[in-house]
Amino acid sequence: MIVELRGRPVVAGKARGVALVSKRPLSFLGGVDPESGVITERGHDVEGRSLRGVVFCFPHGHGSTVGSYVLYSLAKRGLGPRAIVNVEADPVVVVGAVIAGIPMVDQIDINLIKDGALVEVDGSEGTVKIIMEKQG
Amino acid sequence: MYLTKEEERILEGEKGWAYQTAMKVLVKLGDLFGATRLIPVKSAHISGVSYKTIGDAATEFLEEIVKAGGVVQVKSTINPAGFDPEHLKEMPIPEEYRAKQTRILNLYKRMKIEPALTCTPYYIQRPEAGSHLAWAESSAVVYANSVLKAWTNREGGPSALASALIGKTPNYGMHRAENRQAEVLVRVEPELKGETEYGALGIYVGKILGGKVPNFIGLRGPTESELKHLGAALASTGMTPIFHHGAGHEEGLEEVTVEEADLKGVVEELSTASGEPDMVFIGCPHCSLGEIERIARLMRGRKLKDDIKLWVCTSRYVRDKARVHVKVIEAAGGHVICDTCAVVTWLREIGVERLMTNSAKTAYYAPVLNKVGVALAPTSKCIDAACKP
Repeated sequence: MIVELRGRPVVAGKARGVALVSKRPLSFLGGVDPESGVITERGHDVEGRSLRGVVFCFPHGHGSTVGSYVLYSLAKRGLGPRAIVNVEADPVVVVGAVIAGIPMVDQIDINLIKDGALVEVDGSEGTVKIIMEKQG
Repeated sequence: MYLTKEEERILEGEKGWAYQTAMKVLVKLGDLFGATRLIPVKSAHISGVSYKTIGDAATEFLEEIVKAGGVVQVKSTINPAGFDPEHLKEMPIPEEYRAKQTRILNLYKRMKIEPALTCTPYYIQRPEAGSHLAWAESSAVVYANSVLKAWTNREGGPSALASALIGKTPNYGMHRAENRQAEVLVRVEPELKGETEYGALGIYVGKILGGKVPNFIGLRGPTESELKHLGAALASTGMTPIFHHGAGHEEGLEEVTVEEADLKGVVEELSTASGEPDMVFIGCPHCSLGEIERIARLMRGRKLKDDIKLWVCTSRYVRDKARVHVKVIEAAGGHVICDTCAVVTWLREIGVERLMTNSAKTAYYAPVLNKVGVALAPTSKCIDAACKP
């Protein structure tokens, strides 16, 4: 059975990918290496993981407002996430997603998404479908 | 959200791609965060200037805006860039970086944005209390709302640019009185003194508060400079765009107590360098005239140690006002650098590995952004570490 979570549409567009789930807010300025898309914030629960091609599920952004450009920059280089799922969208991440054209949904209980699951985000409908839990 | 006929036409692309994109950003933010309409702003302050921070893709975005004829509609200023053209000897950064930085600055100029190149635009022109602004640079946002009592959301570089291009902002969040009220009482038990301790408080409280608005109880006569450091640090670890202090004790608010050990823990955690610093940096956020005067007082008649750099960073405007003090700092062997700061320039490229600073915000960001070790210490200790005994 496919579980469908309903949230709020933020940025239109559909994307399917493997969920990278973090329980901690992230600062895109300083927290992510813009050259590689790898999360570098010390002690972060997904430190060392790459944003490239994933559906990035995290509570919300924080930190410097330059973060929007970092997200745009990552997307331009093909190092960014395919979609973003937030608990509560903050302006830094929203504007980054708007100008980068990354589908985005918020008001989702990310505890219901397991790290490594295959999910599909519909930014126009505001839904996240869990297609398949992580295998093995 | 209600849009006027003119705003709707811009959204449909009548004035071209630049204004259409700007309007899209404003309308998206307005719709998401419950705005009812767009309101005029007095000024915009735009982050996303240092090439080191924003990289190539953001430059492409700015270029597209310029190509499409985007010009700002209100007084607009920009954040610091990656180098000071008058101190190139002190910052021998690669020619390629300088060229790319110059390209970004030219793009902003073509949009008719003032090259203030500072994170403290309020020292150049202090916004009136109650005026609506569209400011990015999280430390300036908190300062504007909390110290100057102006009204601005915490914009991103692109959303501040969008507001600059349109001359308006959606009326949500900090533009409404009901959202500016304190939500958490933060009782500060130790008697805080100096920028570093206020910064440590900001780091600690930002982490535990999320986006809630604090009212700090127990601060004893903080200076504007100390409040600047508190706000800058608060915005580094949290989402809060405003704080209160010493106001009425609202009943029934959630309470948090901060003890001396909590703040000591922050300073220890942020101090990652071992060994002597090779640079002492003061000026994050950029120094006020008063801060530079104090540094000069601490340095008068002294000389820097042989293998250490001392940078005091500020805006060109404030440096010009502070000429007498600048001479004292330079006579001791230090530099008063403009248009940039240690964090947004290429520190490793100019040979810095261990940075000492009085700024908790710098201590928080520099290990990741600059890949340097940090020692966080009060201003006077920073000066003592830089100077011969």
